[in-house]
Amino acid sequence: MRILLVEDETDLLSSLALALREGGYAVDTAADGEEGLYKAMNWSYDAIVLDVMLPKLDGWTVLARLRKAKKTPVLMLTARDAGRDRVRGLDTGADDYLVKPFDLDELLARLRALIRRSAGHASNGLQIGEVLIDTAARTVSRAGKHVELTAREYALVEFLALHRGEVVTRTTLYEHLFDEDDSTLSNLLDVHVSNVRKKLGHDLIATRRGHGYQVDGPDGDIP
Amino acid sequence: MIFRSIRWRLQIWHGLMMVGVLIGFGVTAYQLERATRMHQVDQELEERQRNLRQSLREGAREGPPDGPPGRRGDAPPPRHGLHLPPHLSRYFSKENSPAYYGVIWTRDGQQLGRSDTAPVDVPSPGRVRPEAGTITRTRGTVREAYSATPPGEVVLAGRSIVPELAALRSFALGLLAVGGGVLGIGLAGGWFLVSRVIRPIHAISETAGRIAAGKLSERIRTEEADSELGRLAAVLNGTFARLDDAFAQQRQFTADASHELRTPVSVILSQTQATLARPRSPEEYRATLEACQRSAQRMRRLITSLLELARLDAGQDPMDRQKFDLAKTVGDALELVGPLGEERSVRWTTDLSSAPCTGDAEKISQVVTNLLTNAIHHNRDQGEVRVTVRAEEGGAVLTVADTGVGIAEADLPHVFRRFFRADKARSHGDGRTGLGLAICQAIVDAHQGRLSVTSLPGAGSTFTLRLPAA
Repeated sequence: MRILLVEDETDLLSSLALALREGGYAVDTAADGEEGLYKAMNWSYDAIVLDVMLPKLDGWTVLARLRKAKKTPVLMLTARDAGRDRVRGLDTGADDYLVKPFDLDELLARLRALIRRSAGHASNGLQIGEVLIDTAARTVSRAGKHVELTAREYALVEFLALHRGEVVTRTTLYEHLFDEDDSTLSNLLDVHVSNVRKKLGHDLIATRRGHGYQVDGPDGDIP
Repeated sequence: MIFRSIRWRLQIWHGLMMVGVLIGFGVTAYQLERATRMHQVDQELEERQRNLRQSLREGAREGPPDGPPGRRGDAPPPRHGLHLPPHLSRYFSKENSPAYYGVIWTRDGQQLGRSDTAPVDVPSPGRVRPEAGTITRTRGTVREAYSATPPGEVVLAGRSIVPELAALRSFALGLLAVGGGVLGIGLAGGWFLVSRVIRPIHAISETAGRIAAGKLSERIRTEEADSELGRLAAVLNGTFARLDDAFAQQRQFTADASHELRTPVSVILSQTQATLARPRSPEEYRATLEACQRSAQRMRRLITSLLELARLDAGQDPMDRQKFDLAKTVGDALELVGPLGEERSVRWTTDLSSAPCTGDAEKISQVVTNLLTNAIHHNRDQGEVRVTVRAEEGGAVLTVADTGVGIAEADLPHVFRRFFRADKARSHGDGRTGLGLAICQAIVDAHQGRLSVTSLPGAGSTFTLRLPAA
């Protein structure tokens, strides 16, 4: 999952980026509205965390312009909790709204919910065959047994599982699993896929030659 | 108490006045009526009395109407009954209704004669002088008119006025009934009028009540803007609007202040929570602590500024007023702030001439320092700050002109507003609270001075401080 973080307060930006990266997300950052809008328009993020008070372009404007082109889920951060602001945010197209000061746990939980909802899932549990993914705890089990995955491996499985049934291209996977600072090479993706197959079974991820990867399976969400 | 309401007081006053007027009117009408009736009776009585006198005189010429002729002046025995000529006797007959009667006395008060119709106990009016003319009197239910003949006999004619008294009584009753009716109608009309007058007052007090209860945006409806109440409503509406504004500003200020405090708190929260999520290296802990320290310092600056503003607002800050030279204050401030300009190669141009003024030199120094640092802060690199101090009639004037980006015309009126930032790009983390100019303004206001700004966008801004000499 790749996330864009737009926040002009350096100390806040750095700690949020750290927390999100440690939460298993690929994180891009922007320190003002213009940069944020540019990045949001040019990459496909799984979610955007957008501060309202920003230099150059404020959060409302960024959101309004972004909404003309993209449906990326947006979580607004604001230091005002007036109901009017809340309504305005949701009306402009924000998907969620968090008032400063907030707890990191809450931010992470809301982001998970946003991403899950935008992929069309209602709960934290995903089941593909005998593989069970808990997106809240970020754990995977196979046939009831816990399987240890690295953060990247987990991100790969989660992304494919959330987009189950779709063929996900390698480019998309790169876009969503690695952030702008990652200097990883394409080979690495194959390594992760092969590792996941070793741990969760070879038929979980199917390779569509020339297209990308796909997770199949008729099973739905776990309530 | 209900009777203390304006409605009741007006009603009571109105009622009392009406009762007074009606009583006055009624009494006058009654008196007039009574006078008219009595005058009529008196005329009748006078006529009969005159006739009686006439017949007495004729009788004297012809001799006494009955009895042996005698010398006048002798004390004649009292005689009862008058022998009147026929044309007179019908005046005093019992067939008349009302019945007239006549009585004649000698000058000594002895009854000379009386008609059959006269009551037995008519008292003598005593000695009457002939030139007094006809005198009338009322005894109970009879009215009498009498006069004296030149020789001294007293001739009296009288009759019962029972019918007149009865008519007057019914007239009085009629007056009372009409008066009561008029009073009732008047009171009802008064009630109606008072209601009409009171209704807008009620409307005003109800609206004012709702406003007092917190609906500050409500206004009194003013349909009749020209009436006294309309003007009152307009004045009240103006007051409410100012109150509303003041509250709105207060709310805005509180919202802004909490907004400014939320950001550093959220930095501390997210920094500590992110760092504490797992074990870190000492360098990482250090970086987190430094970030927390920065946030805490920022909050401290903000709190200090807020407290200072609150004190200035409340007028609590004691202003140590004394005479001082503004040029010296500015010179000292320049020494302090000057090096700051070097970092951005900002050139100082100064023209300081002695300018005495009165005030708290330390507070003014704070204002000057703020204006100077602002001039550097908002200047371009290799820019210039021109500082002049001069004496002017009635005070001292300081101008600080920078060559920065200037302030947009739309922003100029808000520059001194609390938490206003024309430059949103510098909104965070530059160590500025957004309260500096607001504090300056408050300090200058407390000195009865003036702080103003002009600006040419793109070319720079000029801040002007005027302080009174005394």
